[in-house]
Amino acid sequence: MQLTSLGLVRGLIGYFAGLVIGMATVVIFRLVLGMPAWDEEAVWVGGIIFAIIGFVLAIGAMSDWLKWTRGIETPMHHGPPADKPAWTRYFAVDYNHKVIGIQYGVTGLLLLIIGGSLALVFRAELADSGISFLQAGTYNTFLSMHGWVALAAILLGVGGMANYLVPLMIGAEDMAFPRLNAFAYWINVPAIITLIISMLYGWDSGWTAYPPLSLRGPVGYQMVFFAIFTIGLSSILGSLNLIVTMLMMRPKGMTLFRMPIFCWAILATSLIQLTATQLIGQAFLMLSFERTLGMPFFNPLYNAAGENIGGQPLLFQHLFWFYSHPAVYIFVLPGLGIISELLPVFARKPLFGYRWIALSSLAIALVGFLVWGHHMFTSGYGEYLRVIFMISTLLVAVPTGVKFFSWLGTLWGGRLSFQTPMLFTLGAISVFLIGGLSGPILATTATDLFLHDTYFVVGHFHATIFGGFVFPFFAAIYYWYPKMTGRMYNETLGKLHFWLMTPGFWLMSLAQMTAGTMGMRRRIADYDPALGVEPVHLLVTIAGFVIAFSILLMIYNLFTSAEIGAIAGNNPWRSRSPEWQIPSPVPEHSYARPISVVGEPYDYGLAGSQYIAMSGAGDD
Amino acid sequence: MLKLPQSSTDRKHFVIVGALVLITTIVLGFFLLAILPVKAQHSVQAEPIRWLFQLHIWLIAFLFSLVSVFMLYSLFVFRKRKGDESEGEHFEGNTALEIAWTVVPLVLVVIFAFIGIQTLRDATAGGDDVRVEAVGFQWSWTFNYPNGVTAAEMVLPVNKPAEISLRATDVIHSFWVAEWGPKQDLVPGMTTRMKITPTKEGEFKIVCAELCGLSHWSMLATVRVVSEDEYIAWMDQKIAEQNLQTASR
Repeated sequence: MQLTSLGLVRGLIGYFAGLVIGMATVVIFRLVLGMPAWDEEAVWVGGIIFAIIGFVLAIGAMSDWLKWTRGIETPMHHGPPADKPAWTRYFAVDYNHKVIGIQYGVTGLLLLIIGGSLALVFRAELADSGISFLQAGTYNTFLSMHGWVALAAILLGVGGMANYLVPLMIGAEDMAFPRLNAFAYWINVPAIITLIISMLYGWDSGWTAYPPLSLRGPVGYQMVFFAIFTIGLSSILGSLNLIVTMLMMRPKGMTLFRMPIFCWAILATSLIQLTATQLIGQAFLMLSFERTLGMPFFNPLYNAAGENIGGQPLLFQHLFWFYSHPAVYIFVLPGLGIISELLPVFARKPLFGYRWIALSSLAIALVGFLVWGHHMFTSGYGEYLRVIFMISTLLVAVPTGVKFFSWLGTLWGGRLSFQTPMLFTLGAISVFLIGGLSGPILATTATDLFLHDTYFVVGHFHATIFGGFVFPFFAAIYYWYPKMTGRMYNETLGKLHFWLMTPGFWLMSLAQMTAGTMGMRRRIADYDPALGVEPVHLLVTIAGFVIAFSILLMIYNLFTSAEIGAIAGNNPWRSRSPEWQIPSPVPEHSYARPISVVGEPYDYGLAGSQYIAMSGAGDD
Repeated sequence: MLKLPQSSTDRKHFVIVGALVLITTIVLGFFLLAILPVKAQHSVQAEPIRWLFQLHIWLIAFLFSLVSVFMLYSLFVFRKRKGDESEGEHFEGNTALEIAWTVVPLVLVVIFAFIGIQTLRDATAGGDDVRVEAVGFQWSWTFNYPNGVTAAEMVLPVNKPAEISLRATDVIHSFWVAEWGPKQDLVPGMTTRMKITPTKEGEFKIVCAELCGLSHWSMLATVRVVSEDEYIAWMDQKIAEQNLQTASR
């Protein structure tokens, strides 16, 4: 087999060819305009834009569409490529949502490992005071990269769960727009490469990229702007696809309130992604334009009279948080959906208050749009805004509380068993509880004025993201692993992973919050030992390494179990959900016959009840 | 050994859980207060912040106990026994309960919003008996007094309401003295303000709390809070020094 027959390799070649062509185009353009040929930043910007397009064209993510423009028909291809080994489909454009889901999930996991490793490096540096091996500039780059790599990991992880599960859960053949689905995945890959290349130059503003700082730093910023813009485009297209799929492709009898609850979470998430992502894309493009073309959006400029005739730095913060706060709910709603999805299975009980949980996701999504200003309590915007955003932020507690209490209602009176997915689900609840309860203290402005930009905030949002995404994501991986591979993971290793990671995380969160109240600022390369936070930092670092080690155990488990794990069978969890009624691994065409919904999804313990019926040979 | 009831709706469960929640709340509250020592305590504005922080901690202790005790109790009492293949009890929800745990938190939100507004007012109120301008730039500070005195350290008299106006010349910074409590960003193109009434004499660190580039971590200055007499003496000396400099030029 030739290496270039692998789609990914062709894509990479396209990327670097595009980079060269883009750079050359800028040089030529500048020469024609009579400017000096070489301008590092302008040349790179041209290179990056062409490189991303080059990758997408070379891998063939747009081939069918381009053929359509010439009137060539392209029938949908099913199954692995005819002339290549079956595994190659995972490294090429493939239209099957199960393949795309796994591509998203694995890429997300890979990014999670990269993002985590970046954190381990600076956690090692922060274990004691004094700069030992990481200079301030590198520290800032690592810290900033950790943020965006981890967030990209989450967006892709969410995409993985949604793409793999939603069509299966609603008994659909595939997503509504399979080609768009593949396109939306593959534009992430050149974006990620671009994001990683930014480390060559470095950048130092943290993921928030506040101007004027982000207008001054090295060329690395440009790569971040275009990488995030592209990942954002993927979010928008992916969410559009999911919404259409859920609204249009449900089987007979599946009303919205009979969808598996995870679909509700994805519906709420997708509505946010579809409507908020534009704001950050736009904000980052504006930063890029201001840097490259000198458009004065954000940097103040003064005339002779000392009046500001330039931009407003705070404008960026509004645009940025108008996406980036709702984005938090993009990250956690799917995970909360996983919790709601798994609890009934392991409690052998109906989901307590299905409709309330479903609607609380929409309520969180809605309120989430009205709270962005709580990131700006210290920014110097109008005093009255502090009050408005304090009240709106506190309101988020109400629908979130509904979820917690409904989960307790689901556990109460069940027959609980504690396999690894259930452990991670319970771990997720405990960690999200820490994250959630440390929220209101940051919502009331007075306390936030003290805690803002300290490690208390770091502890708060890591607990939110781990409880709302990482723990449920791992629960989902263990839970659907048998469905994806046909084999069972190693239960002992899975439990060991849980019992290392969960206490490790509790310790890390609390220690970070302690450091914050003691006066430890965020995002500093070194700290004053006089603060007395050194032992606390050591604890955070140790806990971080324990968590990292436990995740390595999971990776080992997932790799080896694919070969030697016990054959799982169709439905090892005795779940009622449609995807467990078909063979594992799921066949190319998931459902041999259309399904119809004849009952409620979570009627565990109700004798004679049925959720779905597979139509017989003569029904259709 | 306590004999636990079979039915999940038996009142005995709720009595036990209620008692456990109460005990856990008290233990957890004191534990959290011990591991979260709030450094802000040396200004008038720090008082409401500390007070509200502690109020939050007790609410957190209660809510954390409520959820985690219910959860751990369920995990223990409603665990699947060996060989038991039966399903759990079949109930799909309880609208009265759902309404209750929507409305009660909503009431709590209203109460906290009200308290939040009061404490915000107290934590940002003050006077301008003393005025000083702090200018932040990559990566240091200067302090200007209205009488023209400029210094690399900030000196304030104790127990006198001060208004600090904040200006950034390059990128966004944030002015923070942890011992005082509140912080305030410095934004290029704007002048922001912060009111503070220091209540303890001594030397404290002024730090930049908003990532501002390469040496952000070392963007530090000192504030000295001194008695009124010392403050006047320092100011006189500064004026004399500056006059001398102007004269010699």
